Amino acid sequence: MPAKPMLLSSSPHSFTPVSTPKIMLAVIIALIPASAYGVYLYGFHALALILVTMASAAAAEFVFRKLIKASTTVGDFSSLVSGLLLALILPPSTPLWMGALGAIFAIVVAKEFFGGLGANPFNPALIGRAFLLMSFPAAVTTWTLPQGLVVGPDAITSLSLSSGAVDAVAAVTPLGIVKSGKTLADVGTYLGAHTDAELFKQLFLGYHSGSLGESSVLLITLGGIFLLAVGVIQWAIPVSVLASTFIFSWLLGMNPLFSILSGGIAFGAFFMATDYATRPLTPKGQIIFGIGIGLITAIIRKFGGFPEGVTYAILIMNIATPFLNKMRVKKYGFVPPVKPVKPSKEASR
Amino acid sequence: MALKTFRGGAHPPERKDRSSGLAMERLRDVKLVVVPVNQHFGAPLQPLVKVGDSVKRGQKIADADGRMTVPVHAPIAGVVKKIEPRTQSNNLDGPCIIIEALPPPAEGQPAPSAEDLTEFMPPLDAFACTKEEALARVRAAGIVGMGGAGFPAHVKLAPSKPIAVVIANGAECEPFLTIDERTMIEQADDVVEGVAITMKIVNAPEGVIAVEENKAHAVPLLEKAIAASPRTRAGMKIRVQMLKTKYPQGGEKMLITAITGKEVPSGGLPMDVGCVVQNIGTLCAMVDAFKEGKPLIERGLTISGGACTKPANVVAPIGTPVADILAAGLAQVDEEKLGMVIYGGPMMGVAVPNYQIPVQKNTSGVLLMDIVESKHYEEETCIRCGRCMRACSCRLSPALLAVAIEAEDYKEAEKIGLLDCIECGTCSFVCPSHRHLVQRFRVGKQVLRAMKQKEAQNAR
Repeated sequence: MPAKPMLLSSSPHSFTPVSTPKIMLAVIIALIPASAYGVYLYGFHALALILVTMASAAAAEFVFRKLIKASTTVGDFSSLVSGLLLALILPPSTPLWMGALGAIFAIVVAKEFFGGLGANPFNPALIGRAFLLMSFPAAVTTWTLPQGLVVGPDAITSLSLSSGAVDAVAAVTPLGIVKSGKTLADVGTYLGAHTDAELFKQLFLGYHSGSLGESSVLLITLGGIFLLAVGVIQWAIPVSVLASTFIFSWLLGMNPLFSILSGGIAFGAFFMATDYATRPLTPKGQIIFGIGIGLITAIIRKFGGFPEGVTYAILIMNIATPFLNKMRVKKYGFVPPVKPVKPSKEASR
Repeated sequence: MALKTFRGGAHPPERKDRSSGLAMERLRDVKLVVVPVNQHFGAPLQPLVKVGDSVKRGQKIADADGRMTVPVHAPIAGVVKKIEPRTQSNNLDGPCIIIEALPPPAEGQPAPSAEDLTEFMPPLDAFACTKEEALARVRAAGIVGMGGAGFPAHVKLAPSKPIAVVIANGAECEPFLTIDERTMIEQADDVVEGVAITMKIVNAPEGVIAVEENKAHAVPLLEKAIAASPRTRAGMKIRVQMLKTKYPQGGEKMLITAITGKEVPSGGLPMDVGCVVQNIGTLCAMVDAFKEGKPLIERGLTISGGACTKPANVVAPIGTPVADILAAGLAQVDEEKLGMVIYGGPMMGVAVPNYQIPVQKNTSGVLLMDIVESKHYEEETCIRCGRCMRACSCRLSPALLAVAIEAEDYKEAEKIGLLDCIECGTCSFVCPSHRHLVQRFRVGKQVLRAMKQKEAQNAR
């Protein structure tokens, strides 16, 4: 007979080694290439912005949960992920205090107000960005040239950019150029690419202006493949987002390849739309969710006031998540209910 | 051979290497057995003996009328000492018949002959008798499903629909357990014969012995036994099918899907898709019941776990307290390291307060888990990662089901498929937040059934 009391619990008595902090760490690891490239392109301020948003996000969660006397959850690292994601979708020149404010808003209003991890209906990092975009529209749409990229004077005249745009701080994104009514050739001239192939290569590698971490489709995809390989995300959402962006851009008369290589669509497909709490759980729902994001992105880019629409496309589809969760797969051994032949059984009772 | 399997599932650490190479050892000279009166899924039995009665080995000691009943027999010869409630392997108290072995004969007295001490039935040729005789023998031998559920075998073998295939369940997907594996290796002939008898009773044209890949070394032995069997020589079709190692493949529904590609309809039985699934131990018990007239009075089980310093595959009389198997030295435990005792496997077994509890007809193993393995995790909030959704072999959306149950929305829970849950525990295993998913479903099923019963009563 055992001398001490034995543990009694309901089966199963075996547990997966996977845990929430491990999943969040995997996401941070997957974001390291894109983040490091952002720091390389934009220098020390980019690094500071990343660290400030991450620290503010974690601190906001810690303090808020202390204030409402809830358990401390900073150890699950999810707030660090939100902070990092926010930094990577902001312009690299965003003032540090602004990044901190965005992170605090993202964590407190978009996440903790709804009950914290897993309970938030909207992606916190995207809410943080949307909040800053509305509060400080100028600062959050001011872009910086990556280090070493020199824009030729003929490009400036052909794009009729204001002189303010030439002072080495301000720049335009490829999508911004197209939004102002210019062509892909103009984008090529601006970036110093002579052919379409060269332009697409430069976009894929990420040598152009844009948000801190979303310029290099190559590094983002590498991070995404890592997450797919370790089973943190599944292929359904990234593939459906990218495919539908490609197809709907094409249908709307935009260059489909340019559409998926520029702006935040790759980053959104792999890292934003796959956010656990705000994407549908069911396989069918996930594909419709992805298609919706691609469609709305294409519509905003074509007809909207902003050059980029990924943020709002994902936030809008986040609203649909509870409904898409109703699209469950057929359960094992499902037998479709037989419809009664008689019009009503009530009468016979 | 192409490996078959089902959709979903998980890979809990196998830990079978601890006991898979150990031959089955028989426990002898058992002094005392505690035999639970009710060891089957169905209506309760009545004891047929009184305190003080002498019983022979194999004598029927509990029975009842009714289709869903299976008698219980005395596993050893001796005297009934007590009939009282004791803790059973499901961690509930139930009536048990306690039999003490006869003391060794006094000096100079002749030992009673084995014939005086045993009471088996006459042998019966399963291939010459009628179906009714065969079913009566299976019931009279007290045979239940030995894989865990304890479903009466004579009910399973009397399907009301035609059967196309008999499946021998050698998946043994629970971690640690190796008793089916050892049985297939050491008694391959009996396994094949058991499949043949089952095929004869249900009139099935095909028999399949399903083995998971991690037991591939048993396949040549089974194939040899099939080739040598007089039944296959007489034209019966039996084959071995290898399966990809995955939990819960030993679940009846999953096994049927893996082998035939068909799904057992919701609320239905394996016979609805023309299948009968039998556990390996059950097949061997059936062979004994026909060949020797021996009822189900002993079984093989694996004793293992991190705190088990000497694991073993043991054949012990039903009712033997596991502590006595350890005392006999067949297996050993490190009391210092022991943190948890599980009857059954780690995925679906029951945690019990001690290992004094007896071996039952459905005890496939006893796990003595060490403190690390017994680690208990606090439940954290659901991060909606969807791992349970992909792992659920019944495709029940556990994350959404749990939300419905927490909201006490049992209508929604039923729609999602609460009653289709096989309680395999894969969802709880894969959950990174250690949510008590299957635990909620178990309780939820009972609540929902009670609600439906009440509704039905009110409707009357």
